[in-house]
Amino acid sequence: MAEIVPTQGRYQDFHAFDLSGATRVLEWIGDKGILVAGYESLKKNEILHLILPLRLSVKENQGLFPERDFKVQHGGFSDRSVFDLKHVPDTRLLVTSGPPGCYLQVWQLAEDSDVIRAVSTIDVHESEGRLWPRVAVFPSVAPGILHGTRLSSLKVVDLDSQKTTYTSGVSDDDVLSSLQVLNTDTFAFCCSSGRLGLVDTRQKWAPLENLGPGPGSAGRRWCAEAGGRGPGPSIARLGSDGQLCLLDLRDLCQPVSSVQCPVSMPSPEPELLRVTWAPGLDNCLAISGFDGTVQVYDVTSWAGVGHQVEPLFTHRGHIFLDDSGMAPAPLVTTHTWHPCKPRTVLSAASDASLHVWDWVDPCASR
Amino acid sequence: MPEIRVTPLGAGQDVGRSCILVSIAGKNVMLDCGMHMGFSDDRRFPDFSYITRSGRLTDFLDCVIISHFHLDHCGALPYFSEMVGYDGPIYMTQPTQAICPILLEDYRKIAVDKKGEANFFTSQMIKDCMKKVVAVHLHQTVQVDDELEIKAYYAGHVLGAAMFQIKVGSESVVYTGDYNMTPDRHLGAAWIDKCRPNLLITESTYATTIRDSKRCRERDFLKKVHETVERGGKVLIPVFALGRAQELCILLETFWERMDLKAPIYFSTGLTEKANHYYKLFIPWTNQKIRKTFVQRNMFEFKHIKAFDRAFADSPGPMVVFATPGMLHAGQSLQIFRKWAGNEKNMVIMPGYCVQGTVGHKILSGQRKLEMEGRQVLEVKMQVEYMSFSAHADAKGIMQLVGQAEPENVLLVHGEAKKMEFLKQKIEQEFRVSCYMPANGETVTLPTSPSIPVGISLGLLKREMAQGLLPDAKKPRLLHGTLIMKDSNFRLVSSEQALKELGLAEHQLRFTCRVHLHDTRKEQEMAMRVYSHLKSVLKDHCVQHLPDGSVTVESILVQAAAHSEDPGTKVLLVSWTYQDEELGSYLTSLLKKGLPQAS
Repeated sequence: MAEIVPTQGRYQDFHAFDLSGATRVLEWIGDKGILVAGYESLKKNEILHLILPLRLSVKENQGLFPERDFKVQHGGFSDRSVFDLKHVPDTRLLVTSGPPGCYLQVWQLAEDSDVIRAVSTIDVHESEGRLWPRVAVFPSVAPGILHGTRLSSLKVVDLDSQKTTYTSGVSDDDVLSSLQVLNTDTFAFCCSSGRLGLVDTRQKWAPLENLGPGPGSAGRRWCAEAGGRGPGPSIARLGSDGQLCLLDLRDLCQPVSSVQCPVSMPSPEPELLRVTWAPGLDNCLAISGFDGTVQVYDVTSWAGVGHQVEPLFTHRGHIFLDDSGMAPAPLVTTHTWHPCKPRTVLSAASDASLHVWDWVDPCASR
Repeated sequence: MPEIRVTPLGAGQDVGRSCILVSIAGKNVMLDCGMHMGFSDDRRFPDFSYITRSGRLTDFLDCVIISHFHLDHCGALPYFSEMVGYDGPIYMTQPTQAICPILLEDYRKIAVDKKGEANFFTSQMIKDCMKKVVAVHLHQTVQVDDELEIKAYYAGHVLGAAMFQIKVGSESVVYTGDYNMTPDRHLGAAWIDKCRPNLLITESTYATTIRDSKRCRERDFLKKVHETVERGGKVLIPVFALGRAQELCILLETFWERMDLKAPIYFSTGLTEKANHYYKLFIPWTNQKIRKTFVQRNMFEFKHIKAFDRAFADSPGPMVVFATPGMLHAGQSLQIFRKWAGNEKNMVIMPGYCVQGTVGHKILSGQRKLEMEGRQVLEVKMQVEYMSFSAHADAKGIMQLVGQAEPENVLLVHGEAKKMEFLKQKIEQEFRVSCYMPANGETVTLPTSPSIPVGISLGLLKREMAQGLLPDAKKPRLLHGTLIMKDSNFRLVSSEQALKELGLAEHQLRFTCRVHLHDTRKEQEMAMRVYSHLKSVLKDHCVQHLPDGSVTVESILVQAAAHSEDPGTKVLLVSWTYQDEELGSYLTSLLKKGLPQAS
């Protein structure tokens, strides 16, 4: 007998969907649409532009909207796996990246139909083995695509002219794990080793840096994200063993705090590690990539090293609703916060599930 | 040229009114005859002028098939059969046959009595129309005539809904109607075998959606009902007599049992009787689970759900009531609504589409002050929720069904072409089929290559193979035989066997040609010269000079004779059988050119 999900009172809202293929990208396009893409290696993958169910987009009178379904607004096919996807703001263009990493693909959302077409490519001159370039977009009238597999291969390419407008110019071969554009001239990078920095593209390479957590971290892989609302630290660096480090922009050398998140095991796929800051809440972040859960933390009072922390909320939907039972439990591949609704999160898992959930702050309900 | 033609009927670009015309191997079938609920004039009916131009409908159409009882699939049927005029057979499943007239009459009452419409079909017309119905069973092949046959498959979606296969000889079309690929609590999922039709016609209204999981929808519904009941409020769920109501009842019953809830749930009386009656009658149409449990207890006899009495509406305390009709446009549901609307603790959950003009439609548009009869204003303070429980196939479901049936072509109806280019590509790529999306009134023509199987006799086959090389896939080899067509059976046999079987003697055809040549020599010399000439030219053939003076080339005979009147002219008689036609005519033209001068 099919089990009804018990109303635990911890979710404000919960919607579960099944995509035709699992995605490891969730990229917003406006505040009502998201882009997902498949990452299978042996078959054609779909790139989909989905419109959020109306019910989840409106703020009032939600009850009057019966539509609980995602609408496929545009769709396209990719022969390669898509590991990263970025929308070029104020355009109908997308950039995707994935193995083999010798070029980035540029796509266009058709205006007169629902097709996503491949329009051009951006060469990545140094491509090697299993590495694939991370991508970030400098939005402007002439958008620039920031990409690279290692620090040495970091460049910015003008989307229209394909001319390289910036190169790191260094020989450091640290492998990149995260790239994030912060404003028109600055971007942040994080390497798998944990080394992270902020770069001003107007200057020759001289990043504000934190060289990483140091020795003793062999085998650990890291990723990072800058963001964070509120007065506290605004950079989070997450390790594959669950270590979470918070840093302040004003002094990158000294992490503000370093904690061990209670994860059941080290991440089986460090490439899927994700740490994101909530755009609508102060000092709130979420992590995923360890198992089938997404954990939300309030980092307000975190300080020092070795702090014991507990998540504010853990989304277990991907495990709970997994019907297969026999197959290995699904792994959350990515998650993202809703740009306008403070506690709404979208998460995707390896079993092609896509969840949209709104959690209740346990502190607030007291 | 054998072809299948499909024309979706209707006026303009509209979604939700189904009526499709199919021409297959000379037979014409109408699939569904739906009404558009949003219009109150002729636009609600499909445009039948497309067919009526060709003469009487009964002569033109071989049959009409109705997939299920929803009005957007059968609502125009009485108008079509009684007002436009059609007397041929109308096929549908038994539950559809039983329920259709009830819904048609219901709708007729609203249209005519409530809204005062003219030119609408009458109750008698509904009855007369239903007299033309022939009920079909699932998976039963029904012969419409000696060439056209149809078969119904389970479609899920709603009680009695079916997908239909229409077959003429080796050509077939499958029409899905509305279907659902995920089972729910009281109906199973649609299923079809690998029937490989030339064409699969499927509705694509929800093709570009990715549906929310059933569990989440149910959870949401239960949460709302539970919260309302917990705070002492009353929940009103207006429902149509048959359809989702049964599903929601089973859901609530299960939840009440599990959570040990005490608040009463009611089902308005007329509804229970009718519903129970049909569900009991059509138990094979529900899903496996219900069939199994029915033996022990009647699944539709609920422990926690009781028959409603009008007086209960005034009882204090929480309760849940299912009442008809579904759009709050009249009857019991409207009565209850008026009593409960003023209390904000209460809730009304609308489970489906509401036609413009009904109270349901008004409150869903956000109206909170309603003008009732006698200019009374009703203030709506109760919570209004809209939950769609319709069971339709989404993009994933359509792909699943196409995968099951394995058609050669797919045709999508009721979607906007521009918004379905991606789905079209997806279907074409995944299944390597052509995908069509005609607009209303547009005809799609599909060429078909019907395959006619021919059995070849073993003897003939062996003889051909004994002749040497096996046929090359790229260079087909010609073989000669006789095609015998008897009782829809085709056989290829050798000519001798054919003659034997048919008791015929073989006739030989022989051609004779006279070639006049100027030659004064004697016939025997003539023959000799002919022989030498032919021997030198036709090196690949067997040329012989026979003792009687005649010359043979293979089986062709050449004889020289004197001209009866002119001694200077000799006549060569060239004679050959039909089989040697080519060589014979070549020989003749060669001889006509004359013989070389004697050396």
